[in-house]
Amino acid sequence: MPHNNFKTVYISLLVALICLLVPWSGLALKARPDFLLLVVIFWLIRAPNLCNIGTAWLVGLIADLASGGIFGQYALAYTVTAFFGVVYQRRLVLFNHTQQLLYVFILLLISQFTLLILKVFSGAEVWGWSYFLPSFTGILLWRLAVLFGLNTGGRARGT
Amino acid sequence: MALGFNHKLEQQQEPAFFVRGPSPFARLVFFSALSLALIATDSRLQYLSTVRQHLVAILHPLQVIANAPSQLYQNVTEYFSTQNRLVSENKQLRQQALENNVALQKLNTLTLENSHLRGLLKTNQALAETSVLGEVMYVGRDLFRKKNILNRGTQHQIIAGQAVVDATGVIGQVTRVFPYSSEVTLITDKALAIPVQIERNGLRAIAFGRGRDNTLDIPYLPANVDIKTGDKLVTSGIDGVYPAGLAVATVTKITATPDSAYARITCTPTGGIENHRHVLIVSMPIKNEVPSQEVETSQNTLPTSNKKESGQTKIKKAANLTEKPIKPNATQ
Repeated sequence: MPHNNFKTVYISLLVALICLLVPWSGLALKARPDFLLLVVIFWLIRAPNLCNIGTAWLVGLIADLASGGIFGQYALAYTVTAFFGVVYQRRLVLFNHTQQLLYVFILLLISQFTLLILKVFSGAEVWGWSYFLPSFTGILLWRLAVLFGLNTGGRARGT
Repeated sequence: MALGFNHKLEQQQEPAFFVRGPSPFARLVFFSALSLALIATDSRLQYLSTVRQHLVAILHPLQVIANAPSQLYQNVTEYFSTQNRLVSENKQLRQQALENNVALQKLNTLTLENSHLRGLLKTNQALAETSVLGEVMYVGRDLFRKKNILNRGTQHQIIAGQAVVDATGVIGQVTRVFPYSSEVTLITDKALAIPVQIERNGLRAIAFGRGRDNTLDIPYLPANVDIKTGDKLVTSGIDGVYPAGLAVATVTKITATPDSAYARITCTPTGGIENHRHVLIVSMPIKNEVPSQEVETSQNTLPTSNKKESGQTKIKKAANLTEKPIKPNATQ
């Protein structure tokens, strides 16, 4: 059970960053969940006093650095996502696991959609539906984490 | 950022339920504006490239940690590879080395002959290019671009703009250099163009990456152009980036639509774009190294005519060279 302090937040973010830096390739690269964003969303829901939109922006900047793209793309995507996470944070804590999962899925989609818009503006080609694969693997990872006892603040009722 | 955290820390002590500092909307506007400013700065101006270099160097230890498991796996499989396989591989390599040596002997005499002929024609001597062996660390994480990250950087005298080749053909070009790594944009990337010529008839063209599938396009050739499927494309060497005569791609499909004056030519790259781990980073000789007497001769003639002449001889040289060194490679 993670304790709510800055050290835990930053260590978990560091672990997520290392997961991101693992040399993925092929299908694994296409389906790789957005580890950093998942950790950010987790802390947004659980401890909004420790991890807020500013943290999300900073983490996005690191994701930009790791991806090698233009600075600010992931930062903007994470900021927008974190905003929608924070706005409904109080309700999210009261959601049951399934509702929470759905909302996390929507958040992941928001992030990917923002990124897609930015990429298309900078001249990238639009892919098919496989572009949104990381959102699906993301909620899969979230669900697994909940199953293995990670307390995301959701109530067990109704699941 | 630090200010924000302190601010938040102070609030932690208060039992405030609703007080959370600036409203989420204010934060959203502030950080979005900051991100958009960054995007604009990074895409239009060059200020952030040095910042990025330093930050990537900081990220390097983490990258090493992240690479460790796959590295370990590779080492273990290498260690446990059977002797049988090693012996057969050794045999195969020996035969290959023999073939290559024979080809190299021919190449040596040809290079000598070529330099003599060039001397007689008083054109610029072809300069030998230098190369560094690199290894692909990982595939670029941005799925919209075709990039590879190599384990060689400014510490190994790599500079942006160098060509990257493997045993079978051109892979791409170094576009960004960091202290311990460098970013290679593959020839299939949408933003990369490569000057090519058709091996069969010497026709020059520019091939562009398609981006999505691993193919190249030659867009600006007329519909009645002399290209057949199966034609080999080699680098023309007139751009000063890629050495002449390296295999690039094979023409796979030509479609001429009646409503367009141009043919749609699709090619597949010859090099192992996404499967080879070891690559060669080749640098074209720097212009300053040109011997002084050649510079004088080029100054005597008109600049335009001289350019044309050297271009033509280059093509001849490429046509000479490609037949010999490329073929043994193609049989591999």
